[in-house]
Amino acid sequence: MRSAKSQRFILGAAGLLGSALFVGLAMRRLDFASVLATWRDARPMPWLLFAVIAYSAGHFVRGQRLRVLVRRDAILHLSTATNVVVVGYASNNVLPARLGEFVRAGMLAERTGMPLSQSLTITLIERLLDGVAILGLLVVGTLSLGIHAGWIWSVARLGALVFGAALAGLFVAIAFPGAVLSVASRLSARLGPKSRDRALSLATGVTTAGASLRRPRDAMAIGGYSVIVWLLEALMFACVLPVFGMKLALASSLVTMSVTNLGILVPSSPGFIGSFHFFCAQALMSQGVPGATAMGYALVVHLAFFVPVTLWGAGAILWYGIQVGATAALAQAAKALPRPATVDGIPMNVIARLEASPASTRAPSAFERSLTETFVASDPMPPDPAAIDAAATFLAEQIDALPGRLRFLYSVGMAVFRVWVRVTQRRSFCVLSVDRRRAVLYPWAFGRITHLRQLFRPVRSTVLLAYYEGERVARTVAPLATIHLPPTLDRHEARRGHG
Amino acid sequence: MRHAVGTGDPGRVQVLVIGSGAGGAVTALELARSGLDVCVLEQGSRWDLGDYGHGSVDAMRRLYRGRGMTPILGPVPIGYVEGACVGGSTEINSGFWHRTPREVLLRYKAQFDLQHASADELAPHFASAEELLDVGPHDGPLPKSTEVFARGVRAMGWAAQEVPRAAPGCQSTNACATGCPTGAKQGMSRAVIPAAKAAGARLVSDCSVRLLLAHRNRITGVLAELSRDGGRRDLVRIDADHVFVCGGPTEGPALLRRSGIKHHVGDSLRVHPMLKVAAQFPERIDAHESVLPLLQVKEFWPEISLGGAFFTLGHLGLVLSENWNETSRHMSRYRNMASYYVAVRGSGRGSVRPSLLGDGAPVVRYELSDEDTMNLSKGLARLATLLLAAGATHVHPTVQNLPTIRSEVEAVRWLDERLPRSALSLTTVHAFSSCPIGERRDRCAADSFGKVHRYENLYVNDASMLPDSPGVNPQASVMALARRNAIHFRESLR
Repeated sequence: MRSAKSQRFILGAAGLLGSALFVGLAMRRLDFASVLATWRDARPMPWLLFAVIAYSAGHFVRGQRLRVLVRRDAILHLSTATNVVVVGYASNNVLPARLGEFVRAGMLAERTGMPLSQSLTITLIERLLDGVAILGLLVVGTLSLGIHAGWIWSVARLGALVFGAALAGLFVAIAFPGAVLSVASRLSARLGPKSRDRALSLATGVTTAGASLRRPRDAMAIGGYSVIVWLLEALMFACVLPVFGMKLALASSLVTMSVTNLGILVPSSPGFIGSFHFFCAQALMSQGVPGATAMGYALVVHLAFFVPVTLWGAGAILWYGIQVGATAALAQAAKALPRPATVDGIPMNVIARLEASPASTRAPSAFERSLTETFVASDPMPPDPAAIDAAATFLAEQIDALPGRLRFLYSVGMAVFRVWVRVTQRRSFCVLSVDRRRAVLYPWAFGRITHLRQLFRPVRSTVLLAYYEGERVARTVAPLATIHLPPTLDRHEARRGHG
Repeated sequence: MRHAVGTGDPGRVQVLVIGSGAGGAVTALELARSGLDVCVLEQGSRWDLGDYGHGSVDAMRRLYRGRGMTPILGPVPIGYVEGACVGGSTEINSGFWHRTPREVLLRYKAQFDLQHASADELAPHFASAEELLDVGPHDGPLPKSTEVFARGVRAMGWAAQEVPRAAPGCQSTNACATGCPTGAKQGMSRAVIPAAKAAGARLVSDCSVRLLLAHRNRITGVLAELSRDGGRRDLVRIDADHVFVCGGPTEGPALLRRSGIKHHVGDSLRVHPMLKVAAQFPERIDAHESVLPLLQVKEFWPEISLGGAFFTLGHLGLVLSENWNETSRHMSRYRNMASYYVAVRGSGRGSVRPSLLGDGAPVVRYELSDEDTMNLSKGLARLATLLLAAGATHVHPTVQNLPTIRSEVEAVRWLDERLPRSALSLTTVHAFSSCPIGERRDRCAADSFGKVHRYENLYVNDASMLPDSPGVNPQASVMALARRNAIHFRESLR
């Protein structure tokens, strides 16, 4: 087995070779005098400043996306999350072969206490989402410009294949965590306890890391942030166009940005020197820009891409008082699993840390409270608002406790009901009077269509159970009722007393 | 004496028992008494008597699996609840006690070739459990809800019995389903687990087993999620020499199937479908202040049983909710009301599968048979007739569009007609047979003593092992068979 030192050497050498190759390709048949001429004619201000601002804003959005991704396991301030992202980018600028991704995962593990396998997976998920967003923007840009360059479509197809497969794998890990764990257990059964534990730890890390994407709202937010991040990066590319006398065009920049970022996925030297310039210039040339101008543009965009974030990252590293190596060591310490433990005298091995249990209570929505109020309004007694609130809270909790597929069907059914109410009543269910709500609700809840009745069965039974279990309601319905809780009996006393 | 048999490795547990209900607690007690190193893992939490009896809402949050939202899916969905706490479902049941009827045991022998489980062979195991739980008749006067039921039974001339309970000194607090706050009811947490711990067994609560770790034909341990203080959770591996799966009729087979053990596992679930009614009488019943009705009609057993159900104001609302727009006005008469049920043996068949989506929680299905529908219809007719003969003025069944039965003529209609399946609102608290035991390998998941086929050290020992529906409350059957299997295991080690 190769040592870590030799592995680093091989990675570094491969990166440098890759860069040399792309530098050679970029410089081939290039007229350096023309490039210098375009530089002399360039008007960097204020456009370069705008480009740096747009690029920096993108990092804050990346930070916000990271916060949402780790929300179940850690609370990260936006500044910390952004700095984690920036340190990763800066490290990629000074380390070869995208090793910055590992630095970023290590710092995330250190800042949150998550296992490294989980933070690496989160980093991987971020990059995967980036890839999908970039591909989408590439297709949009290419179609809107009517570019027919075959090699761009080849890049898009290759990207779609790679990211499509990765996305499918991610979907499996997120949707079927139990099955992933089971398969990992079975595949690693013959490897011995240590390897099996590692495999299970890795599988758990992967399935846990994607937990945020199981909640539709978070998944949509994360997807939205991913698109915004790359729109801002495209804006950076667009802002550099006027520096060279070209028109500020977002569609053109979408293509250039997408091709460049897909191109630098290929491991290369620190800062993507060579590969960045080659793909950036080629993308621009495919839109009819002369080679010299395209190369001048690529050099400036790379500076805007490289210098600010590297300085920012260096500052962040100093600010947090860490070194790249120390971060990795801390992450390793956080990993330190499996480890033996004893609970109540029972020997066990801790394999992975799991996401914290979700909160067991939540406030009911206005719709859930309205439903509750409508059902209990049939009671001849005046309704008790506090009991309605308690019953609505119980309803919310019970619906959350339904098995996944029933919860999904319930959500769909309720969405249909609300749309139907909105269409037929021209107002939302919540703002209707109680009598009107009852008139709308009862044909569904007690009508002749079995499936509609079944949709409301958990609601009406849960609401009525909780409402009438309330002490104040019981007193209202039967003021003379008394409920005594006798003192706890010792079992044998009980038997003696009644025997 | 610890580690009498096994590897003696201090990093391993000798016997791991998954679940602390009627099967798991008895297994732990018997094996710990034999000097074996026993560890019980319970998915639910440990509660004290002070946490019990605080009403259905609180109990569902604390004591019930999935907060009581664990329906059985199928053409006719069935509301199903089971306990998920230390003691399992014995903490929330009524404590009714039935030895497995001789006829049922003969059926087990005939259909599943279940060996060494005749009435005589099981008698000492029943006797042991009855002594442990102090099983006997109700100590005090019969509650009013039982009296009126008895009046109906006499009027009809049917065979009935007062069912013994594991609740010595019951003070009629009407809290069986929410955990008995007086400690009179002998759930496993009260009667058996303390004895098992005294014998050396150890118990870890809030520990949910995700997978059994298998290597060839042996289980080497389990993978479990352990909840710690402060909401922290760890995935842990616990190594064991022998594993008893006692997680109940739905969790047990789901765990086995998640672990790749599928031979006749989760394919043959049986339940006792129940239809409830609320009966309104001219006189005060005050069923909410007394123990549930203690009589059961056995005239139509094994196909149909009639008896009394848990009653609170909230549960009355639940029973009436099927036709709430017509029945809600009766809520104010609740002092004059009580709940009863018709339960059928359940000739349909169900399945348990771990869900593919999410964490592999059990997905339970049951296909209500035509025979079940017919028996439920006849049962409703007979129950309503009995209650009306006892003086009830209204009988409200949990059948959609059938809000009230007011006369015996209306009631007997259902002797000849079938209730529409789509109108039934059924519940059950009895599920079993999802890992049947017996020597018939073409039908059974495990041998006659619960050893899972193809595995050297894996056993099932809870309600899932009952080969078929017992037609009575299953706790006694589970405890007796579990004790028998544990003793057989202990002797096989020697």
